[in-house]
Amino acid sequence: MPRGPTRDKRRTYKSKDQKGFPLSSKDKGIPKHTLEGKSDLSGSSEEEGSEADFVFFDPKPDDFHGVKILLQTYLDDTQWDLSGFVDLILAQTTVGTVVKMEGDDDDTPFSIVTALNLGRYKDHKCIKELKEFLLKVCQEKDVIRDLRLLMGEQAHDVGLLVSQRVVNLPPQLLPPLHDALFDEVSWATEDEPTAELRNSFRFKCYLLVSKIYKHKNANQKNNRNLIRRSGSDGGDGIVYIKPEDENFHKLSLWSFSFPMHAQQVETQEASNIVVCFFWF
Amino acid sequence: MATRLMFENSCEVGVFSKLTNAYCLVAIGGSESFYSTFEAELADVFPVVKTSIGGTRIIGRLCAGNKNGLLLPHTTTDQELQHLRNSLPDQVVVQRIEERLSALGNCIACNDHVALTHTDLDRETEEMIADVLGVEVFRQTIAGNILVGSYCSFSNRGGLVHPHTSIEDLDELSTLLQVPLVAGTVNRGSEVIAAGLTVNDWTAFCGSDTTATELSVIESVFKLREAQPSALVDEMRKSLIDSYV
Repeated sequence: MPRGPTRDKRRTYKSKDQKGFPLSSKDKGIPKHTLEGKSDLSGSSEEEGSEADFVFFDPKPDDFHGVKILLQTYLDDTQWDLSGFVDLILAQTTVGTVVKMEGDDDDTPFSIVTALNLGRYKDHKCIKELKEFLLKVCQEKDVIRDLRLLMGEQAHDVGLLVSQRVVNLPPQLLPPLHDALFDEVSWATEDEPTAELRNSFRFKCYLLVSKIYKHKNANQKNNRNLIRRSGSDGGDGIVYIKPEDENFHKLSLWSFSFPMHAQQVETQEASNIVVCFFWF
Repeated sequence: MATRLMFENSCEVGVFSKLTNAYCLVAIGGSESFYSTFEAELADVFPVVKTSIGGTRIIGRLCAGNKNGLLLPHTTTDQELQHLRNSLPDQVVVQRIEERLSALGNCIACNDHVALTHTDLDRETEEMIADVLGVEVFRQTIAGNILVGSYCSFSNRGGLVHPHTSIEDLDELSTLLQVPLVAGTVNRGSEVIAAGLTVNDWTAFCGSDTTATELSVIESVFKLREAQPSALVDEMRKSLIDSYV
């Protein structure tokens, strides 16, 4: 199948790790640089940190295991065709980015970002299961009507934004990562070989499923949790794990959240949030 | 017959279960379908026991056993130990051992006759293994990996080892174990064989990502296609009747 000209995809980003934050809190993808200089260097002015170069790649089938691990709790603890979903993401090489570390022998993905057209893939088992799941967990009546429309008749205009990464990925990478995604979507509307594919990337809106933390007792007055809340919380007692989610939430047309079963934290409840927002 | 299944979206079924010729252990907290898949295959032959070890669900990697016995790490609680002693058949010796390397499932791979162990295992533990499990113990590595329990899985009829095992190593191990061995993968290219697969003499369970090719390799090396528990019993019965006058 003839492919249009591909834009230069590979980009390398030098990222200086923040002071005191180890670059690998998860065990996969052990970077060669480790945190140096602790108490014995208290007198010196050496900066504590490590350098790492991150590279953006097109998704490829070899990334299967790494991406699957990143998306393990995407739909909470439901049993669904996650393998099929990952295959779908990796097959779409024109739109989607996998972030890896330069020189990493393990070749493990640190992050995956992509946008999938719900209408184009509507016959795949994983997409059907995803739609069923979202319609099932949506408890808010005014939202469920819109959700049903998006999943059904308007599916062809909806892009499912999948964005997942290791917790400690340096935040400096996020603006270029998201710019890259939206650039690729607009390039795809011009470069894809068939008209059908080109149109499939003309998204009218995006759907995002993401994890947040919500204060359990956010509605109670005189509650100690509220007093101890730091300034980084959303006004309604939400803590966003991924900072860009707060922006997406503010821009969104509508959103709903549902409780997760896979993780329980004491003072705060882990919830999943689904947001829908317009793209011009 | 080999069955594909998942534990809560994870394909690492060998982590959450332990299958031998006399019993089967399954982690608690999984969906009922995980448990019922095991029951469907095994319930009329022997008990399928739900348990935790040290409060965790990774029971397949923490314990090592065969039809003669079961070895548990020191992290096992007294209640868990008692529960296992009560639920397993009487001929199975359940023993908790004090060993620094507490992930026994990763350090020990065994069938009913031979065991391969981690090179740094204590001498006392080696003796316990020989005693409780009734096996001959060999310290080995698999493709340069010391975690023999993770990178190979073998029954009395065949075995599957890490894909990068050299031919010489394969021959050597095959002679030690006295079973045919094959180097292969499970769960779509995963090298951690024992995490993705749990097997006994007539059945195997592997993760649902396992490709058809991998599944057919598993069925052929472990000789699962003809094997049924009744077939083994029939063979035994023939020899028994021969000696009954």
